[in-house]
Amino acid sequence: MKKTWLRDYIIKRLLLAIFIAWAVLTITFVLVRVGPTSPADKYLANLTARGQDAAQVVAAIEARYGVDIPIYEQYINYIVNLGRGDWGWSLSTSMPVMELIKTHWIYSFQLIFLSSILAALIGILIGIYSAVRQYSKTDYIATFFSFIGISIPNFWLGVMLILLFSVKLGLFKTYYDTGIPLFSLANLQQLILPVITLGTGMMAAYTRYTRSAMLDNLRKEFVRTARAKGLPERTVIGKHVFRNAILPLITIIMFDLGSIVFGGAYLTEIIFGIPGLGQISFNAIFADDYAVVVAVTVISAFLILMINLITDITYTYLDPRIRYD
Amino acid sequence: MTNRLKNIKPIAQKVGDVKNSIFITVIALLGITLLLDIFVVEKIFNPLTYLYIVLGILFVRYGIPLLYTSRRLIQYYWQRASRNKLAVGGLAFILFLILLALIGPLFTADPTAVNFEEKNLPPPGFTLEESVYDLKTGQFITNRITGTTQHPLGTDDKGRDLLAMIISGARVSLQVGLFATGIAIALGTLIGVTAAYLGGKMDNVLMRFTDIMMTFPFFLLLVFIVFIFGPNLALIVIVIGLTGWTGTARLIRSETLSLRTREFIMASKALGASDGRIILSHLIPNVISLIIVIATLSIPGVILAEAALSFIGLGDPTVASWGMILKAGQQNLDTTWWVAVAPGIMLFLTVLAFNFLGDGLRDAFDPRSNV
Amino acid sequence: MTETILRIRNLRTYFFTRRGTVKAVDGIDFDLLKSKCLCLVGESGCGKTVTALSILGLIDSPPGRIVGGEIYYNNLNLLECPPDQLRRIRGKEIAMVFQDAQSALNPVFTIGNQIVEQVKLHLGATTREAKEKALSLLEEVGIPTPEKVANYYPHQLSGGMRQRAMIAMSLSCDPQILIADEPTTAVDVTVKAQILDIFNQLKNTRQMSLLFITHDLGIVSEIGDRILVMYGGRVAEAATVSGLLNNPKHPYTASLIRCLPDITQVKDRLETIPGTVPSLIDPPGGCLFHPRCDKALAICREETPPPFIVAEGHTVFCHLYSHLER
Repeated sequence: MKKTWLRDYIIKRLLLAIFIAWAVLTITFVLVRVGPTSPADKYLANLTARGQDAAQVVAAIEARYGVDIPIYEQYINYIVNLGRGDWGWSLSTSMPVMELIKTHWIYSFQLIFLSSILAALIGILIGIYSAVRQYSKTDYIATFFSFIGISIPNFWLGVMLILLFSVKLGLFKTYYDTGIPLFSLANLQQLILPVITLGTGMMAAYTRYTRSAMLDNLRKEFVRTARAKGLPERTVIGKHVFRNAILPLITIIMFDLGSIVFGGAYLTEIIFGIPGLGQISFNAIFADDYAVVVAVTVISAFLILMINLITDITYTYLDPRIRYD
Repeated sequence: MTNRLKNIKPIAQKVGDVKNSIFITVIALLGITLLLDIFVVEKIFNPLTYLYIVLGILFVRYGIPLLYTSRRLIQYYWQRASRNKLAVGGLAFILFLILLALIGPLFTADPTAVNFEEKNLPPPGFTLEESVYDLKTGQFITNRITGTTQHPLGTDDKGRDLLAMIISGARVSLQVGLFATGIAIALGTLIGVTAAYLGGKMDNVLMRFTDIMMTFPFFLLLVFIVFIFGPNLALIVIVIGLTGWTGTARLIRSETLSLRTREFIMASKALGASDGRIILSHLIPNVISLIIVIATLSIPGVILAEAALSFIGLGDPTVASWGMILKAGQQNLDTTWWVAVAPGIMLFLTVLAFNFLGDGLRDAFDPRSNV
Repeated sequence: MTETILRIRNLRTYFFTRRGTVKAVDGIDFDLLKSKCLCLVGESGCGKTVTALSILGLIDSPPGRIVGGEIYYNNLNLLECPPDQLRRIRGKEIAMVFQDAQSALNPVFTIGNQIVEQVKLHLGATTREAKEKALSLLEEVGIPTPEKVANYYPHQLSGGMRQRAMIAMSLSCDPQILIADEPTTAVDVTVKAQILDIFNQLKNTRQMSLLFITHDLGIVSEIGDRILVMYGGRVAEAATVSGLLNNPKHPYTASLIRCLPDITQVKDRLETIPGTVPSLIDPPGGCLFHPRCDKALAICREETPPPFIVAEGHTVFCHLYSHLER
């Protein structure tokens, strides 16, 4: 019974995800093409000053950017190419966009993965401890620091970490070195500051969410039942309470991952010069390399959609009361 | 809620005539300051002036009377909220910041005035050692620069006074925070209440739309739009406002859903009140405490988003915002570190203050919590 | 004479709140005899549930604390025994059935899982043994399809089924004492009778001591051996069920019995006891019941009544009987 409706639900959601991704694609595509800045503008003044014919220059540039044909034709071309797995050509780096993304996604992934895992682990543990010892000194300290963690702008934190540990103390390099192999201690070491930068806010938020979710459930009656059964406190908290508290937590953590972490990673990559997707799309924006921008935006949106879908499916397994119809 | 307050009014007038006159004076002073501010200082920031004036007038026309009629309620909630010392601290800092932003520019130097004679001045009490190539001797000599009290926070690499820039940045941050949140909250409330009140197909359509909006990579979109249409504060405010309403819509919807079936709504329906009237005069007043909490807690995110945009170089170049100062400071981190520190601290404290206040308000408005 | 399995002496459990100290249980004594059923009766807030939770050491602290007294289980004082030992007794030797199975069962685990967990913990059984045990328990409490129900989550069961599952869980380690806290309050009338039948059967088949908490004197007459009437955290009257129901001595007990609706008689309105349950933060002096008592004497305002023995095994805490032996 559960299997059939879940399968139908997943199919429905996947179709919706594809539809939304298509909508994002179309919107970004249209925004790029109808925006007041044409790729030609940038070079026009420069080239006409050298005595070249303006109309000729514009035509040449537009041809090069593929914007000399009507917008719907561009759009159809783009979709057709996309069907073949071709995301277009990156002009600023002179390689296919797909190639570019393939070489750079890992840098974003390692940063986001390490930060989220560490932030979730530490944040949840502190949150549980804080809730169990509500109104204790530890709880007050944890609450206070989580407020600070939430409020500190992560890009400023990054700059301050560089100022303190790299500039003043000289413990770390100020820039991310791509020459270091990914799976090495040296790479982990140079990821320390970026991970702290991205992870602090997340960790603080998870501490607060966990604390309040745990407190909500600690007051429930089934906790008393669990104790009356003679279960050790560890099991009561770790199994009975946490298993109920995790439900709202998962939604919040996944939502954060989609909306906040992607933005945070973007900034962190820029501050530390990590060549991830955020950095390449940032560079691409300033280089008028729209193919890359559209690709990164659409891929991010699609990833967020997938994360949401996975969250909802996980939810059906964790909360037996939920049924999506 | 409003009806009950009307009944209280005659009693309250007898009890607190003195209090009322103080209240009116304060409100009047506030109004005058606001108007003064619009005409005197606002000249610097053109893009938002119209929005500013409209919102200012709306506030004087509707906000102040509302504050006046609900002063007892405010007093009650203030009593509850004031037990949370952090929230009081947060409110104090926010008021201080507003005051700073309103009248500060009248007393400080022009934040855009460049003066290379006084560049890279550290705050008083700090010194900076700088190697300068001396043209006469053809050698590097070490120059010691000490701060002066004329520039309490020092200057940047173009000799602009950091304090003046910080104050101007406070204006930018507050404007962006208040306006963008205002737009987002208004939209979110409208959509949330409508969806919950009308229910059925309308609810479904609106909520699916909200879901879709939620999955947009918000920051990427913001960067993208701002880049395409050019960095302009009004555009930034509008984009943040138009994309940031989703969370509000969801929360307001679920709150309204629980209100919809209550007796007083049923009663006004039975009396033949129109949907629009029920929404405006019964549903919205009852979710107003939730709206205030959401607004307070979403201002920090908006302020940070604008600062982040300026930080990566997509801020409005005509105004000195904290993010932009921070960006400038980051580039000379090894020498003029204070340029990066000061705006960051302000940003941090502002966000912290709003978070503290929002948290305190949430507890104060929650009837279940005994603060 | 049967041996005493649970002996409570002068138990006092207070809650220290911001508004003052609530003396929820203030010096009660009773004995629970082996394989007998003792009923704790009283209005809401009279300290019945707090007494039960005190026995298991489950008082939420803060704000609650057991400030004095003794709770002897066999010859072990539970109040002095180390927490870990007390934990091993909970659920194994003394088990409890809660009022509202809907909220007392964990919503995210299956019924089977919640029973198996307890069996494995206390009896050291393998998962397979524990599962078999769970099925036989579910069958014992009258669940027709145990295999199916074991895989259900609490929300998938009806109120009566949930309460049965809760009872099955409490029985899982063959406890010596079963405490039932108003197990029939949250279910409807037809189910109530079935649940009571289960308890009656258990009493007979399992030779288990039952501490049954209720506010319903009708239930007491069906299930109880002895009865303890509580008022404001203190004992008002203690007697055998028939002794008390036929011959109530305390004015409070008498009015409780008068309040029982009798469907054989047509009355204009139901009887009530005038006044309200006393505030336990600022209780009246003397006998707690005197403000509502129509027979109150001058002394009732001054002194807390000591116990007077009115008959064999029938004690009453009321100054009206001061001529009798203490």
